[in-house]
Amino acid sequence: MRGTPPPPGPRILGASFRLAAQTFVADPQWLIPSIVAPVIFALAAYEMYRGSGPVLVLYAILGAGMMSMWGQTLYGSGWAIGQDRFLGTLEPVLGAPARYLWVVAGRVLWNTLIGLAGGALVFLVIAATYHAPLPLRDPLLFVGLFAFVIATLATVGLLFSALFVLTRYGGFIQNIGEFAFYVATGCMFPVVLLPFWTTPLSLLFPPTWALDALRYVGVPGYRGLSWGLLPDLVGALVLSVAYAAAAALLFERVVRHVLAQGTADEY
Amino acid sequence: MSLPVILTRDLTRVYQSRKGFFFQDAVRTEALRGVNLEVSSGEVYGLLGPNGAGKTTLTKILATLLLPTSGTARVLGLDVSTESRAIRSRIGLVLGGERGLYNRVSGRENLRYFADLYGVPVARRARRIDEVLELVGMTSAADRRVEEYSRGMKQRIHLARGLLHEPELLFLDEPTIGLDPKSAREIRKLIRTLASQGVTIFLTTHYMFEAEELCHRISVLTRGRIVAEDTVDGLRRLVGGDRTIEVEGYGFDEKELSLLRALPGVSRIVEEDFGPRERLTLRVRTPETTEGDIRASLPLQRDLRIRERTTTLEDIYLDLVEEEAT
Repeated sequence: MRGTPPPPGPRILGASFRLAAQTFVADPQWLIPSIVAPVIFALAAYEMYRGSGPVLVLYAILGAGMMSMWGQTLYGSGWAIGQDRFLGTLEPVLGAPARYLWVVAGRVLWNTLIGLAGGALVFLVIAATYHAPLPLRDPLLFVGLFAFVIATLATVGLLFSALFVLTRYGGFIQNIGEFAFYVATGCMFPVVLLPFWTTPLSLLFPPTWALDALRYVGVPGYRGLSWGLLPDLVGALVLSVAYAAAAALLFERVVRHVLAQGTADEY
Repeated sequence: MSLPVILTRDLTRVYQSRKGFFFQDAVRTEALRGVNLEVSSGEVYGLLGPNGAGKTTLTKILATLLLPTSGTARVLGLDVSTESRAIRSRIGLVLGGERGLYNRVSGRENLRYFADLYGVPVARRARRIDEVLELVGMTSAADRRVEEYSRGMKQRIHLARGLLHEPELLFLDEPTIGLDPKSAREIRKLIRTLASQGVTIFLTTHYMFEAEELCHRISVLTRGRIVAEDTVDGLRRLVGGDRTIEVEGYGFDEKELSLLRALPGVSRIVEEDFGPRERLTLRVRTPETTEGDIRASLPLQRDLRIRERTTTLEDIYLDLVEEEAT
């Protein structure tokens, strides 16, 4: 018998990650939203809050870093699928025996890492420009939690991308969703500062919990969601697993729906 | 007897869309209407039809990129609706055209990506990519970005991608469209080579000579239905003879046409105007009718031009499509 057995998930993930990296490198315009813009935001925020004490400065810088990460993650899910439609590559990819979930996961992973690089660069630039050490209580734990926040963002990106496969308007929805999500999850400022009625909505997103945990570790005297660090971590973990599982289930259905509707070649 | 590689029964596909802005009307388009076909292992099977006949819809259903609305389709003994992943590992699909490739990376990188998606063994991947690049004549341009390629070069990379995992069954949707004659000839040669290696090929094309040259059997799809299916010789018989006689003059009246229809073996006459002259194309079943018989039937015509040629697949195709349209 000719042909090949379907490839394992990690191999698809690796291939997709590699292609996303190559595409990114080949198209330097992405350096602006993912690296340059967050640094400029952070510098502006630093200038605005530098007289307000180190804690507010940390808030501002953290917000800029998170903006970079979330923007990239959402890009990975929404824009990249829109691009697949535009290039006409969605059909050949769906026509391969690989599970599309792994294809998207590879892209989300790459874009999340680029977001992480952008976030790290924000901290480095601020530290180098102003020679101002940030008042982190436990830098090592902070870095670990930073990576955890990335993982929670990636699971949201994965779930969103399942929905973006359905429509040719993925990029449009991504643009609308970026800032709403940015505020609702407490990327720029803690969700406790938002009106009370928004809190239940915010708590549906894993990054809300993870970001709260990150602030507990990073910001001296932080008082966010009242239950503290450990419940934050557990909440983020449980929700992330639920998001990843939902994405896995949803992807099969969404791809089948696209094949039933015959919309994979639309752009 | 071995199972057919492709088997469809009463296959239909309906597209539903909406028209209008505020008050939307549902629009229902029947792209396939009860398609039945069987393709055997090792066969080169051609699907012909005018634009919008449903060729691409049928190809996409068989290649598991589209679900049928009703009926069944089995490819390599597997159901396209429920066993799609198993089918995809064993088939190749070449949709062709300008789109469908990652423009910012090279042809080789595109192939590497799809080799991974198709599970080509890692140890064999690089060699296999070199092999398919060589097969389609793209070795020297493989490391250039796709955005620098001509349409023909993209077409070759599409073809290379379809061959990466050594499929048993290859779907080719207009594989030579947009290629220069030399490249098209090379692609046809490659198709013949693949067929000789036992690969079953399902080919859609607009080029009749291509179908005639390559296909063991041909079906004509029009308005979502297969109106004829046979070998080229079988189709000739179906439309009424392998002789075609073209008669040109300055207009023919109904009486003259009746006399021509009464000639032995004349099964069909197609009228065609061009400028002041008119051409009658006669499909003739038997060898009896000669040029002399035709001249004798048209005594008032002064400047007759009569030419006999073999009935081509294009003649057959046009007869079938026109017949269906009327």
